[in-house]
Amino acid sequence: MKPLGIIVCVKVVPKPEEVSVNPETRTLDRAKARSELNPPDMNAIEMALALRERYGGSVSLLSMGPPFAAPYLQVGLAMGADHAYLLSDRLFGGADTLPTSFALARGIQKIGEWDLVLCGEESSDGATGQVPAGIAEWLDCSQATYAMDLALLPDGRLRAEREIRGGHEVIAVSLPAVVSVKLGVNEPRFMDMELRRTAPAVTVWNASDLGVDPASLGFEGSPTVVGAVWQAKSPERRREFLDGTLQEKARLLAERIRALVSF
Amino acid sequence: MSESASVCVLDDVAWQEVTAATMGAAAPCFQCGVCTAVCPWGLVQKEPVSIRRLIRMAQLRVDGWGEAIWLCTTCGLCEARCPRGVPVSEIILALRRLAWERRAAPKGLPTMLWAIHWDGNPWDQPPSQRQAWAKGLDLKPFAVGDDLLLYVGCTAAYDRRSQRIARSLVTLLRSAGVSFGILPDEPCCGESVRMVGQEAYLAELVEGNARRFKEAGVRTLVTVSPHCLDMFRTQYPSWDGFRPLHYTEYLAELLDGGRLSFARELPVTVTYHDPCYLGRRHGIYDPPRKLLAAIPGLTLVELPSSREDALCCGGGGGRMWLETHAGERFADLRVREAQGTGAEWLVTSCPFCILCLEDSAKVLGSEQLKVVDVTELAVRALGDGR
Amino acid sequence: MIPPAYAPDEARGLWVFLEQEGGQLEGVALELLGKGRELARARGILLTGLLLGHGVEAGARQAIAHGADHVVVAEDPLLAAYTTDAYTNVSARIILERKPETLLLGATPNGRDLAGRLAVRLRTGLTADCTGLAWEEGTGLLLGEVTGFGGGVMASIKCARHRPQMATVRPGIFPLPPSDPDHAGRIESVAVSLEAGEIRTQILERVRHAGVDITRASVIVAGGRGVKGDFGPVTELARLLGGEVGASRVACDLGWIGRDHQIGQTGFVTRPKVALVCGISGATQFSVGVKDAGLIVAINSDPEAPIFEEADVCVVDDLFPVLEALIAELKRRRP
Ligand SMILES: Cc1cc2nc3c(=O)[nH]c(=O)nc-3n(C[C@H](O)[C@H](O)[C@H](O)COP(=O)(O)OP(=O)(O)OC[C@H]3O[C@@H](n4cnc5c(N)ncnc54)[C@H](O)[C@@H]3O)c2cc1C
Ligand code: SF4
Ligand code: SF4
Repeated sequence: MKPLGIIVCVKVVPKPEEVSVNPETRTLDRAKARSELNPPDMNAIEMALALRERYGGSVSLLSMGPPFAAPYLQVGLAMGADHAYLLSDRLFGGADTLPTSFALARGIQKIGEWDLVLCGEESSDGATGQVPAGIAEWLDCSQATYAMDLALLPDGRLRAEREIRGGHEVIAVSLPAVVSVKLGVNEPRFMDMELRRTAPAVTVWNASDLGVDPASLGFEGSPTVVGAVWQAKSPERRREFLDGTLQEKARLLAERIRALVSF
Repeated sequence: MSESASVCVLDDVAWQEVTAATMGAAAPCFQCGVCTAVCPWGLVQKEPVSIRRLIRMAQLRVDGWGEAIWLCTTCGLCEARCPRGVPVSEIILALRRLAWERRAAPKGLPTMLWAIHWDGNPWDQPPSQRQAWAKGLDLKPFAVGDDLLLYVGCTAAYDRRSQRIARSLVTLLRSAGVSFGILPDEPCCGESVRMVGQEAYLAELVEGNARRFKEAGVRTLVTVSPHCLDMFRTQYPSWDGFRPLHYTEYLAELLDGGRLSFARELPVTVTYHDPCYLGRRHGIYDPPRKLLAAIPGLTLVELPSSREDALCCGGGGGRMWLETHAGERFADLRVREAQGTGAEWLVTSCPFCILCLEDSAKVLGSEQLKVVDVTELAVRALGDGR
Repeated sequence: MIPPAYAPDEARGLWVFLEQEGGQLEGVALELLGKGRELARARGILLTGLLLGHGVEAGARQAIAHGADHVVVAEDPLLAAYTTDAYTNVSARIILERKPETLLLGATPNGRDLAGRLAVRLRTGLTADCTGLAWEEGTGLLLGEVTGFGGGVMASIKCARHRPQMATVRPGIFPLPPSDPDHAGRIESVAVSLEAGEIRTQILERVRHAGVDITRASVIVAGGRGVKGDFGPVTELARLLGGEVGASRVACDLGWIGRDHQIGQTGFVTRPKVALVCGISGATQFSVGVKDAGLIVAINSDPEAPIFEEADVCVVDDLFPVLEALIAELKRRRP
């Protein structure tokens, strides 16, 4: 079996609990927030490294983000990835899922040889989960979303166990393929400090390196716009104490639960 | 969990790794077996870990220590008794380091390390909540000229039960008129990193932290946890005036200096559990007892094993991050010992001990026995209605 | 700007993608029809269901009864089970021909798999995982209300110049509309031109989950030492809510329930939408296992229990009568 060329798309996100809405400007205030690698992307990196251990090949990380994202990609290199690429340009800013998946797809094509693209199931900031399928469409290849386990079949196709409602299904897809990895399906290995010291530099590409029309990137290329932004809830729990008779408490409880789940 | 039956022979490279990692520490062992005999695992497992065998395997270039190396709580009991002065827990930590290289570390530990990397604490709690324990206390940031820096540590900062220890300590320091502050973005000291054998990552952490403490002008540093204390005393570089102390030592100094006193009578019988990292590791046996003795009306009865011989609670050596099966917890034995003394309170001075002992008391259904920290008792004895 | 597939002024009508499993419509499809009915009525437009599958006439009738004016049915043996290629190709062809103004899909794993792919195929905008839908005043654009940053921030998102304006909505956000067998609507079958060679996915196996897996449960009812050995009410409530039973370590240690139910630092870390925590004090070693829950309900007789500091809804009371009353209440108002 030939070695696998794996590309993992990762995103540097602000820690969710440290992002707030500025009540005056009604805009997102993420300046003070610490950042981290999007947690599901960590599972994707681990999945990629485990596949490389099993089948041989290489693992490249690809991210779109501001220059400060580079040290976070170093974390992925310290986990064992071979290369890291950062798409960084003001022109990429303000992108919704359409230009994001487009830019990543172009980045993947520029990296060149690849069989498999892995992504985290969604990002903790945008939480759309739409980018992996979008990348697959731009690249015109097969996809498997919400994957929990991957393996190669003897005929060279990819076997993916993926979540469906109320269970899971096992599918075989042809390579190349784009896969999104479910949050928490594995335990991401910790960094190897030796690799941290010897990791290669992150390759940075801007919009013109990708050779794409700036009008299809970033804010300009996004069909959707954000109307209003507001604070949903404080990071602290609500701590609402229910009063009344048992029946009243039960009724209130049922109401609170029904607001979130149907059963 | 029993020892792995498959014993394979290490190749020369691997052997060199083991010798280098343990720095030849296993060499003096003459296989007398004292360590195996005293190890508390012998009290809770039918097939106890043979620490002697582990060391023999390290000597004989034999692999197969498997999961056994993760059981050690680094309580130091065996080291205290070893006729050849073999640093058993250092050997264990070195073997753990090798286990990482072979990707044989237990599940859960990488997650704990990531929590330290991303959030600065092993409890997987948001860094923005680090000062939540001090809510309403109006603490100030440490400034040069303060008597001390209060190093709260991750457990007392985040664990709900342990937060009460930190709050009690603040009350005590204030009643003695001590000027102190905390570090606004207090870093993790790295104890759990060291205990799971991540030496290289630890070096990175320690270097950064030491620089911060030094730049902040820290001299006297008082810890809530004996585990943090051990880190500052043995793993951190020293600098001019740097004096890491456990709070029991500092409070005992305050007693001696007449700045702290207990006015309110507490007519209770208590027994005291020596935390391994306070007692055996740093010889701090008397300061906590001195504090207890200063409380009017209090009677201290000693546990069957105490001071140098004290039984471990089971929470050290990274065991807080690994499941210890019911029935195999040292703390169960300790709680039974405490019940046997007739004491109403089981007092100790380490957040890990509190967590383990209190949990065992619940499982054993021994709620009459209250598990408390020295600070919590001391605050009750302050006598001004607090 | 990435050029749209068709212009806003050519676009007509509100469409709902009707996800089905074995010919039966998914709950979220019905919920979307309910909301779609309300939205369509507000602007006097038609509500159309898009139903792909094989042998799905009953589903089409079900859609009409739940408010659709019109159901476009594409049937083919290759559409019997969901695959990305088959569903994307067929939907895209129909949509490019009919040019709906708006398309709503359920945010189930397959709904999201399709939506993300389709949005790029159609070169349009997609607002994912909406918690609310409304028409913008003046423009009549669809406003999707979404949450981000772990639920801390909300935003409303619209798609101005691209059609269809797409949105996905999680199951359970909108109420299930009542079924009205007298509601009239038109079922239209369309020809499907789909070749096996277009499909790059082969389904090897499908597994329905049985057994305990608290890490995936969307509802967890957890019991601790406070249940005093009796997990009966906790289990009954979990069953009523379609959830799983969780436990504190002490409850497991005491042998009241199996280890695969243990939540916490040395147990399982869970991410349910709702966690009901009964007779558990809230030690940090427990709480780290539920801290990502959407809603935490705590029932504990001790008002000082630390669990109340991290709960959204707090009940200070004996858990047994509370659970009994809650179970009765849920049974009484069972939809
Ligand atoms: C190393 C280590 C790892 C650990 N890992 C875990 C872990 O993974 N998961 C875990 O859960 N714990 C873990 N623990 C144990 C943890 O510290 C606590 O001891 C445990 O979570 C407490 O369980 P509990 O809340 O059920 O019991 P308790 O703390 O005894 O609480 C029982 C609660 O029930 C309430 N109650 C009693 N009767 C009633 C009633 N009739 N109605 C309503 N309320 C009632 C009481 O008020 C009390 O708050 C760990 C401990 C250690 C030391
Ligand atoms: S007590 Fe010391 S000398 Fe004796 S077996 Fe143990 S390590 Fe070796
Ligand atoms: S340090 Fe303690 S737990 Fe570890 S081997 Fe020695 S006696 Fe046993």
